[in-house]
Amino acid sequence: MEELVSAFDAQVDNALFWLADHASFVFDFCRLVLEGLYAGVLGLLMLPPFYVIAALAGLLAWRVLGLVPGVVTAAALALCAAMMLWPETMSTLALVIAATVIALATGLPLGVLAGLLPRLEKLLTPALDLVQTLPPYIYLLPSIALLGYGPATALIATVIVAMPPAIRLTALGIRQTPREFIELGHATGVTPLQMFLKIRLPFAVPSIMAGVNQSLMMAFGMVVIAGIVGSGGLGETIYGAIRTLDIATSINASIAIVVLTMVLDRVTQAAARTK
Amino acid sequence: MESTEALIDCQSVWKVFGDRSDEAIRAIAERDLTKQDILRQYNCVVGVSNASLQVRRGEIFCIMGLSGSGKSTLIRLLNRLIEPSLGRIMVKGRDIAALDAAELRQMRARHIGMVFQSVALLPQRTVLENAAFGLEVQGVPRDQRNRAAEAALAKVGLSDWKARFPAELSGGMQQRVGLARALTSDPEIILMDEPFSALDPLIRRQLQDEFRQLTKDLGKSAVFITHDLDEAIRIGDRIAIMKDGIIIQTGTAEEIVVNPADQYVADFVAGISRLHLIRAHSVMQPLVRWQGVTDGLPRCSPDADIDALIGLITSTGSDAVAVEEGGRLLGIVTIRDLLLGVRGETEARAA
Repeated sequence: MEELVSAFDAQVDNALFWLADHASFVFDFCRLVLEGLYAGVLGLLMLPPFYVIAALAGLLAWRVLGLVPGVVTAAALALCAAMMLWPETMSTLALVIAATVIALATGLPLGVLAGLLPRLEKLLTPALDLVQTLPPYIYLLPSIALLGYGPATALIATVIVAMPPAIRLTALGIRQTPREFIELGHATGVTPLQMFLKIRLPFAVPSIMAGVNQSLMMAFGMVVIAGIVGSGGLGETIYGAIRTLDIATSINASIAIVVLTMVLDRVTQAAARTK
Repeated sequence: MESTEALIDCQSVWKVFGDRSDEAIRAIAERDLTKQDILRQYNCVVGVSNASLQVRRGEIFCIMGLSGSGKSTLIRLLNRLIEPSLGRIMVKGRDIAALDAAELRQMRARHIGMVFQSVALLPQRTVLENAAFGLEVQGVPRDQRNRAAEAALAKVGLSDWKARFPAELSGGMQQRVGLARALTSDPEIILMDEPFSALDPLIRRQLQDEFRQLTKDLGKSAVFITHDLDEAIRIGDRIAIMKDGIIIQTGTAEEIVVNPADQYVADFVAGISRLHLIRAHSVMQPLVRWQGVTDGLPRCSPDADIDALIGLITSTGSDAVAVEEGGRLLGIVTIRDLLLGVRGETEARAA
């Protein structure tokens, strides 16, 4: 039995090494794309001074949530800058945005397909169960072996963690179109595409938006953990503070994370409700 | 006005539900099997059993039955929302089972409107956008389809509500929008699947009258499903009564009330008021059986209903009314005949 297990382990290691050796061009390319996306978003966020970003975020929160949340949002972001954590906060935000965009770009279409094809959903469900039950650290190891230390690895691991809720909730939304509306569509003579766009999709929007919000929150959780693999940003700040037992810095960084999370959560939830 | 052309011609149609429906259908085609036999031997449920009906141009055809009678299945066979297991359905002279997907979409979009019990208004759209849905699906430009939808909403009296959302409307108004949506595409046939069942009695009555008036004014043909015989009588030119998937009787309200096909129908019609339903020609007795003179009797036409006859008798003080058509005497209605008529019995049956 022991031999069997070590043989299996050896196989896994070999496979990983083989991939790293022979398919490195694939992973180099992935790394380039991921880091490019991240750097692009970060560049955009760092372009204006902090108060412009804080004011824009406050404006957005004001529009969807009201005046008080708007002011609080702007003030909370300004606090992040006051704690000398602005670049870290923005690089965490850039990671979250980049990871969520990738997770949604793959998760939403997959969710739609799973909602339309019960067989695909049957196939996906155990895979998603597995991804969601494994401790999220697990995804850092193979990523670091293939992509090396840095934001690309953090991104891939974050995408893996953030994708399942988007797939699940999109599939749920597409699947649960009330029967009478499907019948209405058929009786009206809709094409299959019209059935999807005009009937199934509008009913699925609230569920899909809940999925987007969930993905975003999962991405936040993972981005901080990914500080271990050199993601940069607040995650790495906290990881560094833990190693040097710098409690004050770790608390500051935690406050910044809470601020970012709350703002994004409330704004996306409100946006989901109004549409 | 009445034309004999059949817009919908349903010929010996069966619908059998179940995993072994193919076997059951083969067995039905070969030998006589009852619904119970099929359930026992094949574990299949017979939804519609050997149903034949013709809907003529300009006619409102009601299908009346209790829940589980197969009426909802039958109406869905007419636009192929459900595929028939056996038999043929001709709509406007075309066998709808033979249509391919695109032709079927065309048929549904242009020629067969449908109104549902659940109304099924899309909650994210305004009343106008809901009413225009059929034309939107057909790719009609926005201006044009909105104009058609506004015209249809005007017909059901909802012009002022076009910018509202369905949730802001009462149940009766929502069903009016459902009707407007079906009318916007200007189909020849409208399928009404228990549209008024969920509404309260007063609103239901009002909508029944409006629907009948509108359908007649626009020259549409309609198949109207209901579990309410009063509604069927109020709306339908002809009525089919269904039980256990079988059409037991088809006829005008008067034919069904005067001559129920079996005890089930008789029980059903027992509570129905005959006053406006039964006409002089059904209750009169032949002239030869009338011993008295006919000269002094008040006159009526064969189509005069019992209510009118009672009016004549009470106002003139006569014992009988003479039925005449074109100056020729057809028969006599006595007070006894009237009383029997009110109870739904004709002289021939009572004797």
